[in-house]
Amino acid sequence: MNGAVNRPKLRLQGVTKAFVAPRTGHRTLALADVSLDIDQGEFVCIVGPSGCGKSTILNIVAGLDAPTAGIVEKDGAPIAGPGPDRGVMFQDYALYPWQTVQGNIGFGLNYGAPGKSMSQAERDARVAEFVKLVSLTGSESKYPHQLSGGMRQRVALARLLANGPDILLLDEPLGALDAQTRIILQAELLRIWGETAPREQRKTTVFITHDIEEAVFLADRVVVMSSHPGRVRDILTIDLPRPRDESIRADPRFGHFADEIWRLIRDQALQAIA
Amino acid sequence: MSATPSASAALKMDQATTDVGGGAAQTGDRARSGRGAASPGGVPGWLARIDFTPLRSFAILLLVWQGVAVWTASPIQLPTPLRVGAAFLDLAAEGEITEHALVSVTRLVVSLAIAVVLAVPLGFLMGLNRKIDAFVDPLIELLRPISGIAWIPLALFIFGIGDVLPVFIMVYVAFFALLLNTISGVRSVDPKLIAAARTMGVARPMILAKVVAPAALPAIVVGFRLAFAGAWAAIVAAELIGAPNGLGFAIEWYRELLMSPKVFAFILVIAVIGYVCDLGLRALQRRLTPWVDEAGHSS
Repeated sequence: MNGAVNRPKLRLQGVTKAFVAPRTGHRTLALADVSLDIDQGEFVCIVGPSGCGKSTILNIVAGLDAPTAGIVEKDGAPIAGPGPDRGVMFQDYALYPWQTVQGNIGFGLNYGAPGKSMSQAERDARVAEFVKLVSLTGSESKYPHQLSGGMRQRVALARLLANGPDILLLDEPLGALDAQTRIILQAELLRIWGETAPREQRKTTVFITHDIEEAVFLADRVVVMSSHPGRVRDILTIDLPRPRDESIRADPRFGHFADEIWRLIRDQALQAIA
Repeated sequence: MSATPSASAALKMDQATTDVGGGAAQTGDRARSGRGAASPGGVPGWLARIDFTPLRSFAILLLVWQGVAVWTASPIQLPTPLRVGAAFLDLAAEGEITEHALVSVTRLVVSLAIAVVLAVPLGFLMGLNRKIDAFVDPLIELLRPISGIAWIPLALFIFGIGDVLPVFIMVYVAFFALLLNTISGVRSVDPKLIAAARTMGVARPMILAKVVAPAALPAIVVGFRLAFAGAWAAIVAAELIGAPNGLGFAIEWYRELLMSPKVFAFILVIAVIGYVCDLGLRALQRRLTPWVDEAGHSS
């Protein structure tokens, strides 16, 4: 049983993903030989220039895409398809515009596997609990088009958590927000993630971003990727103490990590705009 | 949410024909937000909130009509608004307008109901299943360019004069508007909304009911408005020849009697019913799909 304890929560081994254009037959290599182990309760950020296959990794772990080659495992079992054990928060949130805040947060509970064994009262109570967690009390009956970007983001986060996944997959969840809102929500995300809880109780998280400081602020480890094809360039362990708050940005080590990551991706970032 | 080229072209036509209403609704909103509850110059609040722009454009129409009628001085070709008004009151008093309008509206409602039952499920099948689409689509594309009116002579042989002929023509017209918009609605569902449901462990039938159907609804509602506009335009032609009653029949009846004011009175009834129904459908659209604009695009 000791082996099971040391087993990574998520394992990607030699993962390759090629896309073939349907008409031309042109083959694009999105990911080439990506290997990555992620432990229980770890918060991993993936950064890299656009086209490095960040989102592809997420889709593969979510089970929405299958790798062309390689192994993808969760708790030692291969990932065969999407499931509520791996919750995804999409870049533009993918909220249902015809559902209220409550309806969106309870979507998986009401119509999917996570709420199968619950009574309607239990589901409603759980929705109310997560409405409160993301501070949306009072907006339960509003529709997404009536909400600000920050509020939509909270709805998406609450919907993700309400389904009780043990792995969180977040695809640039703060990308659409203005800089000030981002900084506030980064700290809030860590609070909700359970920074103060012991590691075994935290959710294993894969967070995709193109914002280097965001990655350093949030992550236990930052995976830096290079593009065309997407490869793991380097992995940095961010051993800044938790819980973290705004003051950590002034820590000299914070700047050191950010510089280090920037150095790793700047050549390709410059190439991309040249 | 992109409509098929044909559907969006048809929509433009629809918007052109109902432009007065659309413009009026917008200026109405402006008037409301501008003046609000305050009553400047002693005008009561409720009066300030009413938008008179459509009334003004109707008044101009009446003036031009009166002018041309006096100038042509041919009461059979163009009776004056006053004489048409008198004929209208006459017909209304005798109950003729209600009688024929009721017949036509009943046919319209029945036709639209049949068209929805036929076109929406078929649209879902074609939108979801490529094989069915490949099989049915050529037939649709072959029949679609044929105006509903072109079938009237043949329909006369088949159905004779009665209720069935105008209903058949209207179902035909409404069917294509609904079908094409349903297909495009089903196809243009944001794949991320489906992916999100899959990651939440929602099974396929439930995804169809709770994601695809509501996501396609705005396009279907737009299709319904187009279907209504097309069917209402076609009913007159169908009843002109193929029915023993109804508004189209009444127009033809009074034409044969050379009673132009009554012909015009019935034309007016057709216009007013079409206008009011479209306002009603717009209101229904805002209620059913509050997250999209009137053309069916997400806001």
